[in-house]
Amino acid sequence: MTAMTRTWGRMTLAGKVLFTVVPILLVLTLGLIVLVVVAGKPIVDFLAANLWLVRFVVAATAVLLVSVPFAFLIMYMEMKIIALMNLRIGPDRVGPYGSLLSVVHGLKVLMKEDFSPTGADRLVFTLAPIAVFMATIMGMLVLPFAPGLFGADMEIGLLYFFGVTGLSVVGLLMAGWSSFNKYSLLGGLRSAAQVISYEIPLTLSVVGLLLLAGTMSLNTIVLNQAGWFTDWYVFQQPLGALIFFIAATAEANRTPFDLTEADSEIVAGFATEYSGMRFGFFFFAEYVNVFVVSGLIVTLFFGGWNAPFAWPEAWAVHLTIDPGSLGIGLLFALLIVPPVLILALAAPFFLLRSSMPWWQALIIGFVLFNLLIGAAVTGLAYVSWPWVAGLAWFLMKSYAFVFLFVWMRGTLPRVRIDQLMGFAWKWLLPAALLNLFVTAAALVVVHPK
Amino acid sequence: MDAALKRRLAARFGERLTSPIHQRHDETEIRIGPGDVPDVVRAVHDEPEFRFILLADLAGVDTGTSMQVVYHLWSETSADWLRVVADGLSREDPRVPSVTFLWQGAEWMEREAYDMFGITFEGNRDLRRIYMPPDYQSFPLRKDFYLADDAARSPGAGVRHMEQSHTPRSGRTETLVRKTRA
Amino acid sequence: MTATPHVHPPQEVPSDDPRVELDAATGAFEPIPPYPPRTERESEFYTLGDGEMFINMGPQHPSTHGVLRIVLKLDGENVVDLDPVLGYLHRGVEKLCENADYHHSIAYLDPLEYISSLFCEWPGVLAFEKLLDVEVPRRAEYIRVLATELNRILSHSMFIGWMALDLGGLTPILYSLIERDEIAEMLAALTGQRLLFNYLRIGGVNGDLNHEFLSRLGDWMSRATTQIESNLTLLNENEIFVRRMRGLGTLDKETAFRMAVTGPNLRASGVPLDFRRAHPYSVFPELEFDIPTRDEGDCLARYLVRIDEIKQSLRIIDQCLENMPDGPIMAKLPRLLRPRPGRAYAAVEGPRGQYSAYVISDGTDQPFRMRIHDPSFVHLQSVGVLMPGHLIADAMAVMASLDPIMGGVDK
Repeated sequence: MTAMTRTWGRMTLAGKVLFTVVPILLVLTLGLIVLVVVAGKPIVDFLAANLWLVRFVVAATAVLLVSVPFAFLIMYMEMKIIALMNLRIGPDRVGPYGSLLSVVHGLKVLMKEDFSPTGADRLVFTLAPIAVFMATIMGMLVLPFAPGLFGADMEIGLLYFFGVTGLSVVGLLMAGWSSFNKYSLLGGLRSAAQVISYEIPLTLSVVGLLLLAGTMSLNTIVLNQAGWFTDWYVFQQPLGALIFFIAATAEANRTPFDLTEADSEIVAGFATEYSGMRFGFFFFAEYVNVFVVSGLIVTLFFGGWNAPFAWPEAWAVHLTIDPGSLGIGLLFALLIVPPVLILALAAPFFLLRSSMPWWQALIIGFVLFNLLIGAAVTGLAYVSWPWVAGLAWFLMKSYAFVFLFVWMRGTLPRVRIDQLMGFAWKWLLPAALLNLFVTAAALVVVHPK
Repeated sequence: MDAALKRRLAARFGERLTSPIHQRHDETEIRIGPGDVPDVVRAVHDEPEFRFILLADLAGVDTGTSMQVVYHLWSETSADWLRVVADGLSREDPRVPSVTFLWQGAEWMEREAYDMFGITFEGNRDLRRIYMPPDYQSFPLRKDFYLADDAARSPGAGVRHMEQSHTPRSGRTETLVRKTRA
Repeated sequence: MTATPHVHPPQEVPSDDPRVELDAATGAFEPIPPYPPRTERESEFYTLGDGEMFINMGPQHPSTHGVLRIVLKLDGENVVDLDPVLGYLHRGVEKLCENADYHHSIAYLDPLEYISSLFCEWPGVLAFEKLLDVEVPRRAEYIRVLATELNRILSHSMFIGWMALDLGGLTPILYSLIERDEIAEMLAALTGQRLLFNYLRIGGVNGDLNHEFLSRLGDWMSRATTQIESNLTLLNENEIFVRRMRGLGTLDKETAFRMAVTGPNLRASGVPLDFRRAHPYSVFPELEFDIPTRDEGDCLARYLVRIDEIKQSLRIIDQCLENMPDGPIMAKLPRLLRPRPGRAYAAVEGPRGQYSAYVISDGTDQPFRMRIHDPSFVHLQSVGVLMPGHLIADAMAVMASLDPIMGGVDK
């Protein structure tokens, strides 16, 4: 036994990971083979009869996987953009321009010691980050990323969204309560007060939009906004969009409403006692939440995955490429075109700058070639598949809003708790009601039934 | 040097002063007994001919023979600092009335003087140690303070043997005390 | 005269103290001291009322400006009362000075307030000069004023950054640091150090103006005003910032005098008391500058007074450069200083208020008693008057607006 522990202690981290993961994978694979051989037919029949189950598993897995790069990108944006606003350099070590630093952060929290304080309620303490994380991820399920690319198209999509993301406050309260720390408790209670107050203007601000759209399905709302950018709901509901944006900032606990983790007042709020991966979950959920909120703003008010313009049908490019028609020529083209193009691109650099060695010119040529081909393939994909175009527009718009959140964080100080509550109840709520009233009146005037 | 201030002070507190008024550069110094502190300080604070409204400093002093509490005051009416020295406090049990009734801000300065010299300010609501730990027993700025003695009495005694090895033989402490007549 | 050391009676910690038992049982850290209360105030503070709780802020807290510990008594988020616990940075500077000769003492004064070191040296040097009856050359006086006014700008610009940081703004502190860095480089060219300058000497200054300092200064002065103004637009035109500061932690005139508050904090309460004018020293009578005051006495006033002071300091620097006389920078003095027995007191107007030193000489080459008075100490005390009744968030802002530096508080 001691020999085994000693060996384990001497192993490197990679060794430990391999030593753990490989046997588990082996066992799982063997088990799967056995399962398929023994009970293959009934399982396939069952899945064919219950396709929703397959769809659910696929969607959940996809959302979980996709949230990782999204959050990493937002983390990087936050670090780098705020650094530039502060006239600092920001991350510049890991990856080009430090772009892989968020990945390293992720690895770091995985490797850190994960302890819970004496007196903490261990079970609740462990469940809290999971609750917050789940609430955020579940909100992502109904976001329409592109035509046909969404987790679920529910008829009550928006209601589901508000219901599920509102659950995150339970997780924050659990964290605040179970940490056995007064700073955490204050943070948890602040978040409860804040999130519950801002739920109301948040929900009310979209009711006017729902009257216009006539549906709660996010997919349908996006489809309603197709056409030129003037068809977006933000132009019919400017006040609603503004209220929604402010309330969503508070919902996502972002500056200037980041009172729950105000570091100059209550250290780190509900996350004070958290470390390691438990803290990682909070951290991760916060950034996913920023993306989800931005995505929802885009979906509701800024046309979702629709492009801001709609060219006349006559202008549309219809490409039909059939590589098979080239026959054996395809093989030659694939073999000959890249080197020729690389040489052609490298030649000007080599000829114009005599001091440059040939291999540097070749490297430049190779990079340029890749950029060209990448651009060509992207352009081709954009015109050929609508979901690529939709996804591109959706992400662009969403990250524009993410940038806005980051910008605000770099600029604004924090409001006080009584100012925060006063703003919600005295300004946002009446404004949301006014918006609803005006929208309803206008609808009655314009479309009398 | 503000001769007018000297005259006014002599006229007002003539019999209370324990030594002649001393002036040098921009400072005027009066010395009084510890019991007179509240009256004198209130007088120079309130009376329109003085109006020393700002307590610039409050310091404890151990002259080696007695303890003193020194107040520095500022006023618009004079170009001088007024230095009030409460003189002749016993070194065994130094006591002086507090001036917190006039300047609440003197509270911490008196705490500091208590912490460093062991001077008890009667009337200070919160006279406890301010810099040194609460279980500390010496008064570091007194002239009979000796680090080795202090270490031997501190809760950490025995932790650092270096400090204990230099404890002087009993009876030698007195010769070590530095004294001044200034 | 017996010389038995004066010893405090030892305090016994009773093992059956219920508060100690309670802590051990729950494993929680309650900031209640594990010994019986020493004063009435302490026992009153450490007795909880209905629905109140203690929260231990510091010594490791993001916004306590150093190693300060404050025990807050809270009712919800409202601060009911507070008990600052000092001494985490106590170095016994006064005692060290008593055991060093007069020249060496100056070096101990520097680290008191590490953000305005020159102002900590100055009163000490002035008091020593008074003891020795030294006449300081005029050029040295002008250089002193020039260097200290630069240090004042450095200190005030850091104050602006810290103030914003305690209100949750991330960016202004970095702009302040840029300002600070430029001035620190400048003073490093003059004094040889970036942080603890150790520049003033008894009877003069350590080094004459040099080319690098002057070129850096000229470069910076040509854009200082616009640079500072543009940095401030981020805050002064920020609705959230102004709203949080206005009417917060109001300190009226009478309370300010009662709490012995000086400097910008006093001037923000409407008292034009500046020792450069009220009790002139050095060459300030020859220089033209205004004393900015505000009447509100709140955090915003304290912030704006400091901004106005930066502008006045720029004016003074301009005049110093214009009127800089020629001549020696040091008075003729022996190496070993033995002033006659006597006492001297000197005060200067620093970026936080009145810095003063009180020296007693017994005729030897070491000060018999060196007393240092630091404005941070006094201002931190007035936090106890200003904080109660505010929310935690505001309490931090109030403390930041008084601008205490723990190095000066703990000495």
